[in-house]
Amino acid sequence: MIVKDNELLKEYRDVWVLAEVAGGRVNKVSYELLGIARKLADKLSAVKTPVPANTSAASGSVVAQLVHERPAAKSHVVCVALGSGIEKAAESFFYYYADKVIMVDDPALKTFNDTIHAAVVSRLIKKYKPAILISGATSRGRSVMPRIAVQIETGLTADCTGLDIEPETGLLLQTRPAYGGNIIATIKSEHHRPQMSTVRQGVFKAPVPDKFLKGKIIRESIYDDEKKSGLTVIKEMISEDSGINLSDADVIVTGGRGVKGPEGFEVIEDLAKGLRGAVGASRAAVDAGWISYAHQVGQTGQTVHPKIYIACGVSGQIQHLVGMQSSSFIVAINKDPEAPIMKLADVAIVGDLFEIIPELVRVLK
Amino acid sequence: MKIVVCVKQVPGTTDVSIDPETKRLVREGVEIMMNPFDTYALEEGLLLKEKHGGEVIALSMGPKRAELTLREALACGADRAILLNDRALGGSDTFATSYALSKAVKKIGEVNLVLCGKQAIDGDTAQVGPGIAAHLKWPQATYVSRLIDSKESILTVERMHEAGNDVCEVELPAVLTVLKDINIPRIPTLKGRLASRTAEIPVWDASFIGADPAKIGLDGSPTRVVTTRKPDARDKHTVVLDGSASKSAGELVKILKSRIKL
Amino acid sequence: MNIENSIKRFHVEVLPPKQNAENLEERLEKFADRYTRVVEEDYCACITDNAMGHLSFQGTELIEELELPVKPENVMIHLNTFHTKKDLDNILNSCAERGIKYILAVTGDGSPRLPKLRPLDLGINGLESVTSVELLNYIKNEYPGYFTLGVAFNPYEPEQHEFNKMRRKINAGAEFAITQPVVEQNEAVEKMLKEFDIPVVVEAWMSRKLHLLSECVGYEIPENTEYDPVANLEKLMKNYPDCGVYLALLNYKRQFPLLKEMRSYAGR
Repeated sequence: MIVKDNELLKEYRDVWVLAEVAGGRVNKVSYELLGIARKLADKLSAVKTPVPANTSAASGSVVAQLVHERPAAKSHVVCVALGSGIEKAAESFFYYYADKVIMVDDPALKTFNDTIHAAVVSRLIKKYKPAILISGATSRGRSVMPRIAVQIETGLTADCTGLDIEPETGLLLQTRPAYGGNIIATIKSEHHRPQMSTVRQGVFKAPVPDKFLKGKIIRESIYDDEKKSGLTVIKEMISEDSGINLSDADVIVTGGRGVKGPEGFEVIEDLAKGLRGAVGASRAAVDAGWISYAHQVGQTGQTVHPKIYIACGVSGQIQHLVGMQSSSFIVAINKDPEAPIMKLADVAIVGDLFEIIPELVRVLK
Repeated sequence: MKIVVCVKQVPGTTDVSIDPETKRLVREGVEIMMNPFDTYALEEGLLLKEKHGGEVIALSMGPKRAELTLREALACGADRAILLNDRALGGSDTFATSYALSKAVKKIGEVNLVLCGKQAIDGDTAQVGPGIAAHLKWPQATYVSRLIDSKESILTVERMHEAGNDVCEVELPAVLTVLKDINIPRIPTLKGRLASRTAEIPVWDASFIGADPAKIGLDGSPTRVVTTRKPDARDKHTVVLDGSASKSAGELVKILKSRIKL
Repeated sequence: MNIENSIKRFHVEVLPPKQNAENLEERLEKFADRYTRVVEEDYCACITDNAMGHLSFQGTELIEELELPVKPENVMIHLNTFHTKKDLDNILNSCAERGIKYILAVTGDGSPRLPKLRPLDLGINGLESVTSVELLNYIKNEYPGYFTLGVAFNPYEPEQHEFNKMRRKINAGAEFAITQPVVEQNEAVEKMLKEFDIPVVVEAWMSRKLHLLSECVGYEIPENTEYDPVANLEKLMKNYPDCGVYLALLNYKRQFPLLKEMRSYAGR
């Protein structure tokens, strides 16, 4: 909502993480977000004058002016979790240093319904007034967050790769790649609260959990009129690929356009097996239908940083590079010595992947 | 079934540059096309119309030349097209854009279904589809990979998510955002192409759709881009292996062994 | 007319306008003009199918929309595997209805916007992709007796591989073949003429754009190579007197008028 009054703005303090709990299991990105939320909350608590001048949004001014000193108000990290039978999951958020957990546990929330979830979270936002709300840029996060943003009338920045607090103003600085990663933009939302962002899995590291940490769960309920949504989930299916967690893998072997087809991925798989690694794919390979989206590395896929990343037949479009360039060691196999990925690699092998990989597999055996 | 398909004109390449003077994206001279994901939304609209009758309306918000993208939709078989064009809409973020599009949908009237591609390849936000649904207070189904069944007032669809998929029923009116898996978009016929070249495309402005001036354009957008830059170049020393396949493989395994246990 | 004699004529490539052509009306007029000239001279007008993956209009819809005359001996439709099953059937039905006799079945070039025929579309199980062989089989079975089917022959591929493929294509119903562009003479083409008993059309590259020719033949022809397309055409006609000639990228202003004399000279 638009908040022009400085006194009112002061009330928006906390940093919220909208957690994703499906089938009682917490999506890893939620823990990662608790890590960055802690950093943001600490920085926010240290801001002496967290109030920009009372410039009207319509004036178009982007320069925040300091008004007067204010004592720093403590910002808390709050994790919000919706679902059915999620008490255990809710407790786990304390291990990751959440100060508070708000839980809505109701059978009506058993399946994912963006309309219902958005309605409940929007009401909670109005009640508790967080300064910041972040969520994973999963397909669910990317569906429910825009809906919340519109209902609350606030801004939302998708797929952030950096989040920080502007020290003078306490505003959230949201960094995201656009145009397939060719442009890096920093985005602010001055007068609207909460400031909302989605973040891809793997961008931030989850803190090391402390299983002795405990806290009191704040229980909220769902209202009857919020249960009417026009959408009914009648069946949920977990695919065989669901086990793919690229962000946990030490070694990732990725195939791109050069793999030429679904059968080419069998070669990639052989190498991944030989190295006890996971199989990744470029957007080109996923878009061509050779392998499922769950394998996609890059700006619109997963961000990864394994110990060893082997890119096979991947040219290295910038949107791919942003998802893997922080890998510790990068190997590229490509026919074209001029391909961008070859410049980024620690080891660049010039040649046909269909000749080199079988050799690699043989040597590894 | 009255179906609105939202189409966006996007650059044919994402390799864009920033004007060093104005700090804005250079859009001139860049090849343009219909956002690839929107072609699937359009095809799904056409298929639904073939089954249920009714009308497919292509809607785009953008500069005057977005008319070309609407003509593309007409060539494929859309019944009519509407261009939302107003200087006051310039600089809209996803909130303001989805607001303006929702107002246009209301203005069209008695719409049963809004179809969007899952995201546009230039902004990559995937926020406008759900935003339209929220502004209209309609249900939404996102990342739809299959239309299983359709009746006049209800659709059964399959949604994809990272861990698999689910099947849900959506009551109309609703908004759907679709994936490439959903269909194979048709290619315009010569007949369709010729007809599209002379079709009238009405241009609607912000006041015509009754948009609140405080909710559109740069000033109506809650978010603001404060800086843009090119990503940092990462230069490093690269070991190049360009010998025979067996030689390269042997050397690589040696290097890898020094880094992890094999 | 028997197929040998019919195939021996000039096959003139007529490129259909592209989908994104700005001056479409002008392009259509040009297409109609070229097509008509080719047919009137009793040559064969060969209409390509999204050549190089560029989205273009289909020969059948152009003939229909522009109300162009069809003489069975004088029109050839190229048909590749980058179509939906529905579009494929539409094209074939339209060919059958209009009395178009010659179809060149090729695998073709794809693009992100062009859908690839899936084996299951043609009722084939356990196959990874559709090639010209499957396409030939399908057309033979679904349209028995309607068409005379041709295929491509690439003399620049490994010989054994290409010859095996050619045999499969002939078994699937191919009745004539068109080669990739030949410069003066080609050993593989000669072997092929001896090996297979079908009429052959040799392709003559009529443009000076050698980089495109390099792409077709798969080896690098230096840009500064002395290349006279008309002289090459004359050589091909001399070296392959029993073959037809396919004229790729013909210049309709300068080169087309020369064909008449060359034809009478070579007795075609």
